[in-house]
Amino acid sequence: MTKTEVKKIFTKGIFTDNPILVQVIGICSALAVTNLMMNSLIMGIALSLVTAFSSLTVSLLKDHTPKHIRMMVQVLIISVYVIMVDIYLKAYMPEMSKALGPYVGLIITNCIIMGRAEGFAQSNPPMPSFFDGLASGIGYTFVLMSISFVREILGFGSVFGISIIPETVTRWTLMVMPPSAFFILALIMWIFNNNRLKKQKEGVEKK
Amino acid sequence: MKNSFIYPIIFMMAVTAVFIAVLAGLNYATADTIEFNQESELQQKILYIFDILPKDGAEEDVEKVFNENVIEKEWGELRGYALTQGGQETAYAVPINGPGLWGSIIGYIGLNTNYTEIIGIEFVTQSETPGLGGRISEDSYKEQFRGIDISGKMDEFIVSSPEPNSNVDAIAGATQTSAAVVKLINEDIKLFLQEVK
Repeated sequence: MTKTEVKKIFTKGIFTDNPILVQVIGICSALAVTNLMMNSLIMGIALSLVTAFSSLTVSLLKDHTPKHIRMMVQVLIISVYVIMVDIYLKAYMPEMSKALGPYVGLIITNCIIMGRAEGFAQSNPPMPSFFDGLASGIGYTFVLMSISFVREILGFGSVFGISIIPETVTRWTLMVMPPSAFFILALIMWIFNNNRLKKQKEGVEKK
Repeated sequence: MKNSFIYPIIFMMAVTAVFIAVLAGLNYATADTIEFNQESELQQKILYIFDILPKDGAEEDVEKVFNENVIEKEWGELRGYALTQGGQETAYAVPINGPGLWGSIIGYIGLNTNYTEIIGIEFVTQSETPGLGGRISEDSYKEQFRGIDISGKMDEFIVSSPEPNSNVDAIAGATQTSAAVVKLINEDIKLFLQEVK
């Protein structure tokens, strides 16, 4: 596996095929856990690790897995890693586990993981699958952090819990409520895709 | 072989067995830590109600102070805690619960032994909007419940602003949560007093 291949996988996962901005999958949790940056960061790390390791495992087992039960096996693998993350958070980060609530368990149903397992890991060797999962997870984390940055700074006046806007500035209540995530996610998607399409167009014209 | 009838069944069973073994091991290894965390959290909250939570205390300190000063107590079906000093019960933590805006709110409220004063409050479980109703878990809200005189009252122990003669301020932007908290406290203190008197 060459460096350029790894680089290609990462650019795809983070930019050109970003799971949220381009594929528009796994946005439930992107809307739910983005009111604080710390929550988003932990959620992003959890999802990146789960995606990376389940892709790796799916890829390792793919030659022995009968085709017609592969989805069952994938779901099994994904749930194992999610439960591991859940147990870890409960044991060593109880506060975070409480803040994320049911969303850690719901990573199991996140389309990104299943999508990478079925779309990439099932037909690629283990290491590229691992990087592919990691790249998609980082792409997801990147979008979550952008949304939560806007929401936290406007809704709570802080960044990572550190207050940076004086108390006298009125907080924008809507920003801490779930609906605001829709607006901000849509805005980010709009800006990102506008740029992406513009670049594609330029590329075509240059040729 | 991979297409035989029996292979997928055996494969699935083998994979499941391996993964379950891994998870069971992990669960076993962390069970004590998780239980300790949950216990410690509850102990901290009970100590907070009685206002004897060690400042910046480690979890071991909390456990020590809790074991020295607090005992479990039952009133009929209600299970709460009592603060003891020199073998004498000096205050009670009475369970309260009821519906909030999004989900159940469960907590404890502190009363003195004559049931004439509210000495503190803490919420164990609440799922109100973070930053709005969720602020009931912040000190600035909870500290209002220290030393509220309820002697002689049979109802409306807590009156929240903007009602006249209020003894607690509601949270701006979280009217429903504030009202729900006051309602569940008043109902549960009333029930408790009926039980003990």
